[in-house]
Amino acid sequence: MSTISMLVRVLFGVAFSFAATLTAASAAPVDSSTVSGLGVRNIGSAQMSGRIAAIAGRREKDGKTTLFIGAASGGVWKSTDGGTSFEPLFDKQPVQSIGAIALDPSHPDTIWVGTGESWTRNSVSIGNGIYKSTDGGENWTNVGLPNSERIARIIVSPKNGDVVYACVPGKLWGDSADRGLYRTTDGGAHWSLILHGGNLSTGCSSVTMDPEHANVLFAGLWDFRRKGWTFRSGGDGPNAPSGSGLYRSDDGGTTWTQLTAATNAGLPKGPWGRIEVVIAPSNPNMVYAFIESVRSALFVSENGGRSWQERDRSQRMVWRPFYFSRIVVDPTNDQRLFKMNLFLIVSDDGGRSFSNSNGGSHGDWHDVWIDPTNSKHIVGGDDGGLWISYDGGSKWWKGDNLPISQFYHVSVDNKDPYQVYGGLQDNSDWVGDSAYPGGITNERWENLYGGDGFYTFPDPTDANFAYTEAQGGTIARVNRKTLEARDIQPRAGYNEKLRWNWNTPIALSPNDPATIYIGSQFLFRSRDHGTTWDRISPDLTTNDPQKQLQEKSGGITVDNSAAETYTTIYSISESPRNAKVIWVGTDDGNIQLTQDGGASWRKVSTNLPGLPNGTWVSWVEASRFDAATAYATIDRHSFGDMGTYLYRTTDFGKTWTALVSPQTAGVRGYAHVVREDSVSPNLLFLGTEFGLWVSVDAGQGWAAFKPGNFPAVAVRDMMIQPRDNDLVLATHGRGIWIVDDLSPLRSLSSQTLDAQVAFLPGRPVQQRIQSNGGWVDGDAVWVGENPANGAVISYYLHSRQVIGKLTIDILDPSGTVVDTIAPGKRKGLNRITWSMLTKPPVVPPAAQIAGAAVQGPRFLPGTYTVRLTRAGKVYTMPLTVGLDRRATFTLADRKAQFDAANQVKGIFLRMSALVGEIAALRAEAGALAGKLPAADPLRAELVQFDQRADALRKLVVATTEGGAITGEQRLREDTADVYGAIMATEAAPTPYAVARVAVLDRELGDVEKSLAVLTGAPMRDLNVKLKAKSLPPLTVISMTSDAGDTVDAGDGAARTIFQGMVGARYLGTRITSGAAPEDR
Amino acid sequence: MRLGGLRIFALLALGFAVGTQPARADSGTDLLAKNLAARGGAEKLAAISSIQFTGRLIVPGNFELTYKETRGRKNGEALYESSIQGLTLVQGFDGKVGWRINPFEGRRDAERMTEDDMRALADDATIDGPLLSSKARGATVAYLGREDFDGTDAYKLRVVEPSGVQYMYFLDPDTYLEIKVVETRTLRGARQVTQTEYGDYELVNGVYFPFEIESGPLGSSPDQHQKVLIDSARANVPVPDMMFAMPAAPGKK
Repeated sequence: MSTISMLVRVLFGVAFSFAATLTAASAAPVDSSTVSGLGVRNIGSAQMSGRIAAIAGRREKDGKTTLFIGAASGGVWKSTDGGTSFEPLFDKQPVQSIGAIALDPSHPDTIWVGTGESWTRNSVSIGNGIYKSTDGGENWTNVGLPNSERIARIIVSPKNGDVVYACVPGKLWGDSADRGLYRTTDGGAHWSLILHGGNLSTGCSSVTMDPEHANVLFAGLWDFRRKGWTFRSGGDGPNAPSGSGLYRSDDGGTTWTQLTAATNAGLPKGPWGRIEVVIAPSNPNMVYAFIESVRSALFVSENGGRSWQERDRSQRMVWRPFYFSRIVVDPTNDQRLFKMNLFLIVSDDGGRSFSNSNGGSHGDWHDVWIDPTNSKHIVGGDDGGLWISYDGGSKWWKGDNLPISQFYHVSVDNKDPYQVYGGLQDNSDWVGDSAYPGGITNERWENLYGGDGFYTFPDPTDANFAYTEAQGGTIARVNRKTLEARDIQPRAGYNEKLRWNWNTPIALSPNDPATIYIGSQFLFRSRDHGTTWDRISPDLTTNDPQKQLQEKSGGITVDNSAAETYTTIYSISESPRNAKVIWVGTDDGNIQLTQDGGASWRKVSTNLPGLPNGTWVSWVEASRFDAATAYATIDRHSFGDMGTYLYRTTDFGKTWTALVSPQTAGVRGYAHVVREDSVSPNLLFLGTEFGLWVSVDAGQGWAAFKPGNFPAVAVRDMMIQPRDNDLVLATHGRGIWIVDDLSPLRSLSSQTLDAQVAFLPGRPVQQRIQSNGGWVDGDAVWVGENPANGAVISYYLHSRQVIGKLTIDILDPSGTVVDTIAPGKRKGLNRITWSMLTKPPVVPPAAQIAGAAVQGPRFLPGTYTVRLTRAGKVYTMPLTVGLDRRATFTLADRKAQFDAANQVKGIFLRMSALVGEIAALRAEAGALAGKLPAADPLRAELVQFDQRADALRKLVVATTEGGAITGEQRLREDTADVYGAIMATEAAPTPYAVARVAVLDRELGDVEKSLAVLTGAPMRDLNVKLKAKSLPPLTVISMTSDAGDTVDAGDGAARTIFQGMVGARYLGTRITSGAAPEDR
Repeated sequence: MRLGGLRIFALLALGFAVGTQPARADSGTDLLAKNLAARGGAEKLAAISSIQFTGRLIVPGNFELTYKETRGRKNGEALYESSIQGLTLVQGFDGKVGWRINPFEGRRDAERMTEDDMRALADDATIDGPLLSSKARGATVAYLGREDFDGTDAYKLRVVEPSGVQYMYFLDPDTYLEIKVVETRTLRGARQVTQTEYGDYELVNGVYFPFEIESGPLGSSPDQHQKVLIDSARANVPVPDMMFAMPAAPGKK
C-alpha cells in the first residue's frame, strides 16, 4: 500500500483499494467495449483530401443544395448547405468503400448507396452490398447484394421508388456469378439478376434510364479482372474475346437486346472493354456511350440507340477507361456533357469536340453533379477530393472539409509536439502537426514531394531532411527548408531491370539512425543518406517471369503504371535487438531472413500453416523484445480471399503460429500491418482493411478498437511515438488518427477486468503551455482535433454508470479536496480530463464581464490524488503533475506566477466584499429612507449616505451599462487587466506586473479606508438618529470566502448580490457599525 | 427530459477572452412503457408539478458557472440561469414566449427569442421529456433495434414530433433509462444536430432524473462538450407565473 493511499485512508476513513484488492465481479473479456474508451482523434487532413467515387445532389425547394459524397474508401458524407459543411453518414457501417449513390426522386429522405468502388485501381477497397436509408441518411439498412463487392450505378425509377436498378461490376479479384444488372420492385426486399454476362468475370459497368419512358434502359456489361501482377479491361489482350457489351431493354429490364456493330450502325467492332452509356436527361433520343475498344471513342446516337456515330476519341477521352469512364450530360442541355478523365473535359456540341474543364483542380475525375436549376453550378470529385464550380466548370473552389485522405504509411519524429509524416494515394507525401494551439488546420500540413505518396520518414540524423517516396520506389531525400528533393533511388546494373512495387518498402534501422533500406527484388542498404547503396541480397522473390509481363497489362488498353509490378520486396524489418537480423516479405509469398546483415539469406515462409504458397506478405515486423521473434501479416485479397492472416515465429522462422486466421472470431478484413507495442510484448496491434484490432495477451484474443467516432476504415500502417506512447494510425480513406497515450492498455489484466472499478496509470502529466493559435477560417474548413487539454485520467468500469452518483474528486498533497470533475460513465476504459484549474477569482459584479478573470491559475505541480467514489466504495490513484517539459521557466518561476495570481485573487475577493458591503449598506439606507416622510431631514441624510456609498462603489467597478464599448476602467477592470497579464504565461510575472498589483492593492485599500470612514462617525450619527425614530440601525455585513465551490449567499440582500459568484460565500455575519462589540 | 441545452454555451461564448436489427411492430410501445416504469412510473411522474435543479455548468474551455434550472408542468414553463462574476445568463419560457438576458456584454434587458430558439428551449423544458410526452405531443415513436453506444448495446428509439424535430433515444438495456439522445432540428432553416449523454440518475420524489448531462454538436470532441453537474434537485417548488414571464423592463438578474 502506498503512503499516499494509506494517508487517504486515514484521512477519509473510507475503504479504498487499487484493482488488486477490488471486490470481485464476474469476469469480463477484453472486447471492443473494454478498449475503445481509450478514444481516438482525427488529425486529417482535409488539405489533401482523397478520392471521391460518386456524387449525388439535389436543389431543395428552399434554394439550398443537398449533396451526398461517396468517398472511394472513406464512407458517405452529406451536406445540407451546398458543401460548406459535411457530416459523415457511414461511420457505423462495416465498409467504407462507396461505388454509387442515388436519391429517390419521389421520396427525398430515401437514399440508396452501393458499396464497393468501381474505379478498380490496384488499391481499391471492397463493399458488401447495397444500403438504403429512409431518413435522409441517419440510419441505414443493408438491403442485399452481399456478394456484389462493388456497385457502379444505382437508378431509382422516378415513377415508382420501389423499382431500383443496381449495376454490379462485381468481384475484381476472382470469378463470381453475383454480378450484372439487378432489379428490385419491392424497395430492396428482393433482387433479381436481370442482365448478366457470358462468363464469370463480366459484370455491369453502366446503366441509364429513359427520362420519359422508365421501361427503356441501356446497360453496359464489362469483362474485367485484376490480379496482383496484371489487370485486364476486356479480354487478356486487345483482340482477345471479351464478355463486354452494350444492351437495351424496352420492358424495364425483363428482356434485353445486344447492340453491336453488326446490328447497330456506327458502333465499333469488338471486342470491347469498359462501357459507359448515358441518355441525355432532356432528350431521350440522345444517347452517349463511351466504348473501350482498340478504337476507343465516344459514340453518340441521336435516335434512341438505333444508329451511332463515332465522335471524340482524343487522348483525354480514351485514357485509362477502367479508372475514368463516367459521362454526365447537362440535365437541361442535351449537347453539353462532361467526360471524366485525368482532366475533366466538356463538350458543348454533342461530343464532337471537347475542351479542358479541369481548371485548377487536382485531376483524375470520377463524377460530377450538375445543378438542374443552374447548370453553371457544378460539384465534382476527383483523386484530390471535392470541387465546386459556379461558372460551368471553368474555375473550381476546392473543398477543404472532407478528411477522406488515403494514407499508405505513417511515421513520426520526436519534436514536441511531434510531427506526423505520411504518403497518400495520388496525393504526395506530407508532414503535419500532431497538436497545435487552436486546432490542427489544413495549413498545419506541408507537402514534401509529389506523385502517389508512400513511405515518408524524418531523417533521424538531421531534422532538416526527410525521406519521401512516390510510386515505384521513387525515393528522395528532401531538404525541409528549401524543399529540394534529391533522387536517391538505386539504379539498375547492366542488362538488369529493378522491380519496384507500387508501394515499395523503405525502412529505417532501429539500431543505427544513419541506416536506411529500400527493396526492389533486391534489398538495398545505405549508410550515407542514399549517396551510396549496398545491394545486400540476391533476388529475394520467386522471380516468376509469368508475373513480370506488366507491359502487356491492361487488357484492351495497355496500362502499366507500376501498379501491377510484381515479384518484388514489399516489407522490410530490421530487428531492434540485433542489427544483423533482417526480415523481408515479398508480394509473391516469400519471407526471407538474414542473420548476418545480408551476407546470407534463408527463405522461412515454407511453414506458415493454413496458407497456400505464393500469397502476398503484406507486413513483417521484427520483435522489439526477441531477435528470434517476428510477426507477419498475409494479404490474400488479390486472390479473392478477404480473410485475415497473422503469424508469429519465435525461432527465426523455423516454425510459425497463426495468431489470426479467417476462423478467428471478430476479426475482419485482409491484413495490412501488425505492430508490437514498444513496452509490452503482450500488446499487439493489427490493422486490416476494416479497422484496428488490439490484443493485450500476445495475440490470444483480439478486440476491435471501435470508438464511436472511428469508422471501419482501412488501417494501412501505424507507428508508436515512443516518448508520448501515442499510437498513430494511417488510414486509407479517413486520414491520420491518434490514440493518445496507449499506456493504460499495458496495464489491462484479468485482475483489472474482474474489478468493478480500476484506475489505469497513464503517462506523466504535464501542465502544457497554454497558448492561442490559428485564425478564423469560416465554416467550410475542417480542423483536426488536439489532444486533451489537462491531466488525463484513465479508469476501467465493469459496467456503465447509469443510476447513482459516480464522483471523481481531486485531492491536493495535503488530502484536501480541491476539485470534483465530471466522470466518464461508459463500460470499459474511460478517459476524463482534469483541467488542473483552481477556482476563478471572486470578481464583483459590474457592467460587463471581466473576461480576463474567468479562470483561476492552474494548481502547482505536485502529487495529487484522484478519488473515485461509486456505490459507496472509494478508489484512489496518485496523480503526479509536472511542468511542461518544454518550459523554459523553473518550478520557482511557476510558483511566483501562482502566488501572484492568487494575490490578485485576494484583491478581487476584498473588492467583492467591499462591493457587497456597499450594496448591502445602500439597500438598508434605501429601505430606511423609504420609511420616512419625504420632508424628514433624516431621509435626506440617508439618501446622501447612499450616494456617498455609491460613489465609493463607482471607484471600484465600471457601472455604465448598455453594452457599448465604454472603455471605463475602474479598480475591478484594472485588476482584471493585470490578472490577465499574470495568467498569460506560467512563467514568473514581470516586475512591473508585480508592482502594478501592489499599486492596485493600495488603491483598493484607499477605498476600503473611505468606506471605513463612512461607516464610522457618519453612520454612527445616522444610527443614533434612526434609533430616536425607533428604526433599526444601518449594519455592515462581513463578506469572505471559504474557497468553497458553491455559492451560499446567506439571506436577504446579500444573497441577491452574491448569487452566481463562483467561490464566494456569505458567512452571514452582520456588524452594526460603531456599536460596541457587546452590541453586535 | 433534458437539462441544460447546448444553446447555453453559444450565448456564453460572448464575453470571455478566451448495425441495426429489424424492429418489432410493438417494440417502441414496449420500450416506452419500460422507460416510464424505470423513471418511476406515471403516477409519480405526474405528481411532480415543478422541479428545480442546481449545480455547475462547465462549458468548453473549462469555464465554470453556477447552474440553476427550473421547470413547471402547468405551461411547460422553464427558466435556466447560469452565473459567473455575479452576472447571470437567463433563458426563460413562460409557455408562450421565449426570452433571454445575456449580461456578459453589458446589457441586462431581456431579448425575445426567435421562434426556433424558443421551440428548442420549450422542447427541452418539459418535465416528462420528449420521449415520455411523445404520445401527448402527437409524436411518432419507432423502435430501430439495438446499437452500440460506447460499449453498451442500447435500444434505439426514434421520436419524430409533428414539428419535424427528431430525437434518437438510446436506452440502457439494463435499466431502460435514457443514456443518450441525438436531437435534430431546424434552426433558421439550417439543420442542427446535437448529442446529449445522460448518467448519474438520482431519484427526485420517486422519479429518476439524470444528474450528469454532457452535450455537444454531433461528432464533436469531448473538449467541445458542455457538462451540467447537478448537486441537488427539489420537486414541487413554488413556480409562480411571473417567474417565467419575460421582464418588461431591464432585468435585474
